[in-house]
Order: sequence, then structure tokens, then C-alpha cells
Amino acid sequence: MTRYVVRRLLQMIPLLLGITVLLFAVIQAAPGGPEAALLQQDRFIDPAAIEAYRERLGVDQPVPVQYVRWLGGVVRGDLGISFSTTRPVSEMILERLPATLELMGASFLIAAVLAFLLGVTSAIRQYSWFDHLGTGLSFLGIAMPVFWFALLLQLLFAVRLGWLPVSGRSTVGVESLADHLLHLILPATVLSFRYVAGWSRYLRSSMLEVLRTDYVRTARAKGLPERVVVWRHALRNAVIPVVSVMALNLAGLFSGAVITETIFSWPGIGRMFVTAMFARDYPLLMGILLLGSTMVVFFNLVADIVYGALDPRIRYE
Amino acid sequence: MPESRTRVPVPRPGACSRALAGWLAALALAACGGEARDPLGSADGRRILRVAYEREVDVLNAFTSQMLVDIHFSMVEGLVTTDENNRYVPVLAREIPTLENGLIVENPDGTLQMTWRLHEDVRWHDGEPFTSEDVCFTWRFVTSENSQTYNRDWYLGILECAEPDDHTVVFTWDGPRGYYAGLFEAILPEHVLGGMTTQEIVDYTPYNRGDELVGTGPFRFAEWRAGEYIRVVRNEDYWRGPDRPAIDEIVWSFIPDSNTRLNAMQAGQHHYARLEPTQVEEVRGQEGYETHLISSNTFMHFDLGLNTERAEALFSDRSVRRALFHAIDRDAIADQLMEGTVRVAETPINPTSPYHAPDVVASRYDPELAARLLDEAGWARGPDGVRVKDGRRFAFTMLNRAGTADRIAIAQVIQAQLKAVGVEVDFRTLESAAWTQTWRSFDWEAVVSAWFLPADPSFTGLYSCGGPNNMTRFCSPELDEVMRASDRHIAFEARKPLLDEAQRLLAEDARMLPIYYNVIPEMVSDRVVGYRGSGTNFGSFWNLWAWELR
Repeated sequence: MTRYVVRRLLQMIPLLLGITVLLFAVIQAAPGGPEAALLQQDRFIDPAAIEAYRERLGVDQPVPVQYVRWLGGVVRGDLGISFSTTRPVSEMILERLPATLELMGASFLIAAVLAFLLGVTSAIRQYSWFDHLGTGLSFLGIAMPVFWFALLLQLLFAVRLGWLPVSGRSTVGVESLADHLLHLILPATVLSFRYVAGWSRYLRSSMLEVLRTDYVRTARAKGLPERVVVWRHALRNAVIPVVSVMALNLAGLFSGAVITETIFSWPGIGRMFVTAMFARDYPLLMGILLLGSTMVVFFNLVADIVYGALDPRIRYE
Repeated sequence: MPESRTRVPVPRPGACSRALAGWLAALALAACGGEARDPLGSADGRRILRVAYEREVDVLNAFTSQMLVDIHFSMVEGLVTTDENNRYVPVLAREIPTLENGLIVENPDGTLQMTWRLHEDVRWHDGEPFTSEDVCFTWRFVTSENSQTYNRDWYLGILECAEPDDHTVVFTWDGPRGYYAGLFEAILPEHVLGGMTTQEIVDYTPYNRGDELVGTGPFRFAEWRAGEYIRVVRNEDYWRGPDRPAIDEIVWSFIPDSNTRLNAMQAGQHHYARLEPTQVEEVRGQEGYETHLISSNTFMHFDLGLNTERAEALFSDRSVRRALFHAIDRDAIADQLMEGTVRVAETPINPTSPYHAPDVVASRYDPELAARLLDEAGWARGPDGVRVKDGRRFAFTMLNRAGTADRIAIAQVIQAQLKAVGVEVDFRTLESAAWTQTWRSFDWEAVVSAWFLPADPSFTGLYSCGGPNNMTRFCSPELDEVMRASDRHIAFEARKPLLDEAQRLLAEDARMLPIYYNVIPEMVSDRVVGYRGSGTNFGSFWNLWAWELR
């Protein structure tokens, strides 16, 4: 097992290297350059200032030279300096990571609990009114545009009822956990909706399959209580395909949620990514993408290991 | 299949409803906690101004920042600012030099001697005195090669900066430059940044991030939470006197989404926010707030360019260009598309400016005249309704910038109205940075765009032959001469007739159709006293020192 994990970790290195080459090429291939940031406000500008800007950032160099320079920095643990803020990229990402993890973690947790309850219950009460309702809500959750749902909740709970803050992560000057949680409720709810919808569907179908297998019938025949049959015996196998979906979504935890963060002014990585993209802030973009892709690769490994733990038939050599 | 339905009882009945109940309990808790507090007040009675700001700034150096500098101007001051009537108002300068007050003297060799007298007893936030040395240092920084200041070329006319004493600065200009009064919107502290190279200053994070930002302004830097807000607190040692400013703290919360900003204002959580023109109707009559329609120095326009062989063939004839403009109903755009919030533009200069020429008319909506002019120019309707001349169809491409809903909507109106007179327009829509590159590399035929003019009315850079921001390749030597002459005068009386003439010639040339002056709806709480607004590049926070909170 240890050898397997070490081997997989070593395999990550060339994979990530290839990913960075691709990402760098794609980012650079997008038309327009960082000087776009200078022109966002429709003000007219001294063309010499544009040239000076490009020169300072080193984007007048050939792309391979820029890549090697960037990679050299990354190997030494330096993700470079952001074009627009003149600050180290690693510092900017670390600054935003807590907010991102908090929001994503909270919605992940809400989603996991609700999706399991919804998925399992729908499966064991297939075609009941509950199942139909769950199916309907799930499709609604998948189909509903996030920005619309978010604005709707803002309008209801913040503007009409005045119960919750419209946006932000905390009330300025108020340092309390309760205030913090109040700010978290709406964005976490919006974000979890999508996951609940997806995961509960996967779990429902996988559960339906497992409930019809021989070993479940055997468990029932042994006289085990239904609760034990469903939650201990059936669910454990049913959850395996769902785990891989969840693991990939877990990787997304670190990249943030662009739309939700923007609408709720949540200071996470997703929002920073969008700003960086419009400003063609290459080092910041690469930093965020590198983090994101590392997490995807890493959580794939985690999913594989979890398979082994869930299903004793799976062995790693 | 119904087997499972009939035989399996529900495990842990009510688990879902328990989770739901928990969520509702959280909301109920929120209800209890939220209602007791006044979101615009503060627990300890301090007067806090809460601003819902539309974007997070990049850096706090006013010269290298690419953002509107509202936040900067709460901490940093310059020699001048502009008021709600687009007029210059001295800040750190005691008065603005003019020929009449004798502070500008013309030398026999054509150069100018310009004296700025500075306020005494002004101190930086760290207690150091503000002197003429800081002004000359700022000039050296801006004019150095890598300062990246967007209007650096305007400062290059200053040949020398002398400091006869601590509170007098004397510039030697290479000649009269009309825009002289709009420069030095901020002053950098020599005692903090003095020992560094230009590059080091541009990259100097402690100043850019605020930790070492010292200004002379009414507020000093307190805190910047990335992605959340910037907080500034009262400068206890402000030079305008112990009563100023009358606000203890300002919180600039970054709320980039305009709908969220609207919701936050409707929930009464901020004193001030900029809205979209299309949101004005929604907040009309909201208790405790007033929405001011600030006429911005930004004007929306429809530009034609001679950048392709096809565009040259279509747009070289002035009467054809005029015909296109006659086909466009700008009143409909202003009244219906922009819901009557904006004012149709006739020239680049905003009507709030004393340099605006009120009698210039860019074009009148007259589709019949448009059709007649096109007929006369030899463009006859083809079998598919599109006009044809010498085998060439009257068809061109408009460059659109994705994400700018207002501009794309205008482009669609123009497309439909031109189609009615037999002109075919198709769209090429690009993402912002790609759009910028395409536009600046002269790879387009027509575009709906906007220019944000500084407080100074000069538009030479936009329309002169080969001007640094003329991306159209249009060139009119006659207009050029008048525009350049207008830049070479300092006195209003001398400059005004030249700029009037330039506005008239520009309209006559029909290369660009002004559509409307952009309006920035600013929603301000009734508790704010002293707000006056401004649509220039100095923005509405220019007189923050005079604001009060009831």
C-alpha cells in the first residue's frame, strides 16, 4: 500500500509538469495581454506607458523563455509576483484560501448530509411521493442558474426579511463567530444546492442497484434490522461510485466558486481568479491553476485509497 | 421492483426534516441577531461611513493604480481636484496659477514660469512636514521612464521643477499647455519613497498595500482585508483644522456584482453605492436614500474606422458617413434603452464643463435623408435589400466587447436601424482583453465604445492625425490645427473659442457619432451631509473632508 502511494505520488510530478506546459500555453494563447488592465476604464493612455508596463512584467519575452523562468521559480517555491498588485502570488493565494475552504467546506458538509439522506431515502422508497419530490428538487437544483437563485435568496432573506446580511464575510468591526456564521448561511446554501442535487441522484441509482443484490437479501434473511441492512451493508457498497464524484468535487474546494463568490462578495479564490483572468495576470492565473490541478490529481489518489478502505476486494499492489 | 417500496421501512424517520429544522433554526437565530442593530450605526457611537464599492483596488499608489482613485483620495491629496461643476479647486495649493493672478509668466523664449504656492502647516500622516520637495519628487517620479503613469506624456512639458522655499514650487514649462491645472492629482512623500529607483517605487509593497502609505489627506490607512474591504480612519492632525474631517472612519466594502450592490443598498447596509442606470427605477423613492444622476465625463460613441480595405471603401466618403448617422435614433437609445437616465451627447465635452459647445449638433435622426444621401452617393438597393455600389455590398463588421451589456444593446439598435436603410452590420464579439488588443491594433471597422475624459477638455489625443489614442486612422489637418492650438493656450478666453471650433469641426467630419454622456447613478443615504458629486476622473469623493454623518 505504502509503495503504491509513493509510486502514485512520484507519477504526479511528470503529470503536473505536462499540465503546467499546457496551461501556460493556453493562457498565453488567449488574445490580449496584461496591458488590458491599463485600459479597463476607458481612459486614454500614453502608449509609452503600455510599453513600459509590458517590459516591466517581462511579457515582451518569447513564451518558452517566460515558461522556463516561471518554472524555475516554482521549483524554488516561488510562484512569482502578481502583475496587478505587485505582491507575491503565494501570499495572495494563502490569504484567500481560508475563506474559500470555509465556504466550500461548509457547503460540502451540508451537501453531503442532505445528499445521503435524500439519496438513500429516495432509493428505499422508490416511486413514493418523497422520491418524486426528491427527483423534482434535484432537477431543479441542477437546472437553476446559481446567480438567479443567489439573488433570489438575497432579496428574500436580506432585503425583505432583513434576517441575513446581503454579502461579505463578516460585519466590519464585529469579530464574532455568530456574525461570521450569519454571513456564511446564504452562500453555503446556494453552493450546496448543486452538490445535493447531483450526489443524491448518483447515490439513489447506485443504492437501487445494491438493494437488489443477493448479499442484501441474505442480510435481511439473517434477520438483521432494516436500519443495519441499509446503512451498514448496502450503503457501504453503494457509496463507492459516489466517492469518486465527491473526491473530484473536493478538489474543486480549493479553486473556489466563481459565481457564488462574486455575488456574495466572498473573498475567495474563485473571485480572484476571474479578476486575474480579465487582467491577464499570468503569474496569479498560473498559481491558482497549479493549485487547482494539483488538488485534482491528489484527490484522485485519495479516492483510489478510499475505494480500498470501503471495498476489501480492491487491493493495491 | 415495488418490493423495496412495500417491504422496507424508512430508516431514521424524520432525519431530513431534522436537518431542515436545523437550517431554519439558523435562519431564526439570524433573525434575532439581525434586527436589533442599525446597520449604518456603530456599537460605540463612532461615525462610520459605509461605502459599497464596485471593485477592489490593485495598489494604493495613485499614479500606478489602474483604478478610479476614490479610495486613494481619502488618504492622499494633490495640488488640485475638481468640483461638481467640472471646475478645478485647489487642495494643497493655495490657489491655481493663472496669467491674471500673475503666477504664470511667459518668458521671452516661449517657455512658461508657473508658480504654485503651497499651504503651510500641512503634515504627512507620520508627522513629517509636507514641502515643495515632495512636489518636485512626484514630478521626477511620474516623468521617469518606467513610472507607468497613464498620462505621463502630459507631465513631460515640465522642463524643470524648482523649490525656492519650502512652500513654493516653480515649474518651467516648454510652452503654454492648456491641461496644466489637471495634473498632480496626488503627491508622493519624498521622505518615504525618496531613496528608491522608479522601479522600486512601482513595486514597493508596503506603500502599495497601505502599511507605509502616508498622505496628507483627511483619513489615514487602517486596514485592507483582501477581497473584503479597506478601512481608513480619521486623521487627527488634518491641516484644515481640528473639526475636520467630521467622520471617524470609512469602510470601503468591495461588492463587485451590481445586483448585489443594489440588494445591499435596499437592505440599508451602506451609505453610498454606485448603481447601473437601469437600476435607478428600482430604488426610486426608497426611504432614507436619494439617487443622484451624476453626469460622467465618459461619453458613449459609435466610431467608424478606416482600418480595412473594405472600411476605407465604405467610410471614406463623408456624406456616406453622415447618412449612416442620420439613420441612428439616439433619442430612442437614451429614452428607451437607458430608461431616460442619460442625456444625448453632441460633442466629447460634457455639458457640465464650461468648454462644452452647446450649439453643436452631431446628427439628427432622419432615415429618409439617410436613404437619399446613400442613393446620391451611388449606393443603390440590391435584390436582398442591402445596398450595392460597383459590385460591393454595403456591409461591415462591428467589434463588440463581451460583458458590456449596455454597449452591445446599443450596437444591436444601430444594427437594426442601419438595416432599415439597406446597410448590413454583423458582429464580432470578443472578451475584454482580446477586444482591447484587436481595437488597439487597428483590426476593426466600427465599434461602440466609451472614452473617459479627464477634467481637462482636450481631446487632441483621440482625434488628431496619428494621435496616441486615435485608433480610427481618420485624419483632418484642419481639425488638427485647431485642436493643437487649443492645447497651446492657458487662458479660458483664448481656449474656449478654439475648443468650440474643434467641437464643431469634429461633428462636421462625421467620423464618430456621440451617443450619450454616461450617467453614474449614485445612491446616497440622507444621513450623509456635504456630498456634492462629480463626474470627472477625481470622482465624487473629492470633498470627503467636508462630509458629515447625521
